[in-house]
Amino acid sequence: MNRLKLSDILITIVIALVFGIIYKLWGPVYNIVKPFGLHIGDVVYGMWFIAGTVAMLILRKPGVAILAETAAASGEFLVGSEYGLSVLLYGIVQGLGTELVFMLFGYKRYTAFVAAVSGVAAAAGSLIMDVAYGYILDLALWNLILLISARVLGGLLIAGIFAYFLVEALEKTGVTSLVRPASDEDFKALDK
Amino acid sequence: MQWTLNYEETWLHRMNPAFKLVFFLVLFLGLLFIHNPNVITYVTFIPLVLVAFYTGHKRKLLLILMIPFLLLFFSSASSMIFFGQGTTTWWKWGLIHITEESFYRGLHIGFRALNFALLGLIFALTTRPVLLFYSLTQQLHVPPRFAYSFMAAVRILPMMVEEFQQLKTALLVRGIKKEKGIKRVTQTIKLYAVPLLSQSIRRAHRIAVAMESKQFHNGERTYYYNTRLSKFDLFFVMYVIFGVGVTMWLGLEFPTYAITDVRK
Repeated sequence: MNRLKLSDILITIVIALVFGIIYKLWGPVYNIVKPFGLHIGDVVYGMWFIAGTVAMLILRKPGVAILAETAAASGEFLVGSEYGLSVLLYGIVQGLGTELVFMLFGYKRYTAFVAAVSGVAAAAGSLIMDVAYGYILDLALWNLILLISARVLGGLLIAGIFAYFLVEALEKTGVTSLVRPASDEDFKALDK
Repeated sequence: MQWTLNYEETWLHRMNPAFKLVFFLVLFLGLLFIHNPNVITYVTFIPLVLVAFYTGHKRKLLLILMIPFLLLFFSSASSMIFFGQGTTTWWKWGLIHITEESFYRGLHIGFRALNFALLGLIFALTTRPVLLFYSLTQQLHVPPRFAYSFMAAVRILPMMVEEFQQLKTALLVRGIKKEKGIKRVTQTIKLYAVPLLSQSIRRAHRIAVAMESKQFHNGERTYYYNTRLSKFDLFFVMYVIFGVGVTMWLGLEFPTYAITDVRK
């Protein structure tokens, strides 16, 4: 498989740090929509999974998603996130979720569908952390279901679909051809 | 973040950054095993004392930084207080059902979030990122590819800010009007996010190529800054052990709430 080169790592981390700053600014947004307790606000939580998907869709190499999400979380942490250290562990687990989905598709498919599934997997990762951290299993059942659906929907829409369209817009600038490994189609084009 | 703020150096700054990170992660995991709300209330004083007296920053700045913590405390606690499960009902109104158990569980989560926030603040206020990356490679043997990529990436951020200002003025000069509603989002992405991201990807690529052409490699290397463990690290560990001992004892001997385990 393609090992990450210095340029891959550097580009991943730059993308991640940009999102890390967005993550930090997203904290107050979430804290304002959340206290109503009905968890509808958890839809915006999906923004916190986006770095992994975006970086993976751009670079298309194994390990990129987990590196990006961890780096984004460290960036958020270093600029003084109000969630403190917890963002680091959440970041690792969420990145792992994103990474696993792309791995299941053999690092071969980078469609909107796979992106959406990876967003859902990242949401699952964050929920696993919440069980340990926020005792969410002790919520009333209807409330827990609301929380899970809002979180999953947010992951799907923001970290999945939105990330996909963002990368598609980036592709038009031609910048992605700098970083992507040569694909099978490229080799076929040579044979013609 | 330690790039621009004025501050006095304290013993917390002199700790080894990598050790600090690992130790803080251990503390984080340790906090997840505290289920007694009495204990966690007292435990909060351990980081609070450090923030208040030993970060070397101005009180005013510290107070401003701690404003979001109140919001965080409330937002972390609220869902559990209003909708948690429990048997001893205090108040019921429509969907809201506050029980004794859910109230203290919510409070517990709030204090937990507060502890993490304070620890994170201590770390952010007393650690120079450059030294952190140096010490990660030296003490924890993180491959230099990752550490140096991080440091280079941090340097790209101010350039992005500059580019953002340029873009803004350029769009102003060209008389671009702001769209309304959902179109505003797509417009912002097209005009700001895409150019900023693509330019920084190009820049990152150029920097990586330049680093490698100047023989940056992943093997043995010498360092401009040498980081090592010191007595300050030991002092910090002793402070935490002592603090946890005292607060545990206080929490068990002088409980402030009737509940001792929030999981029940």
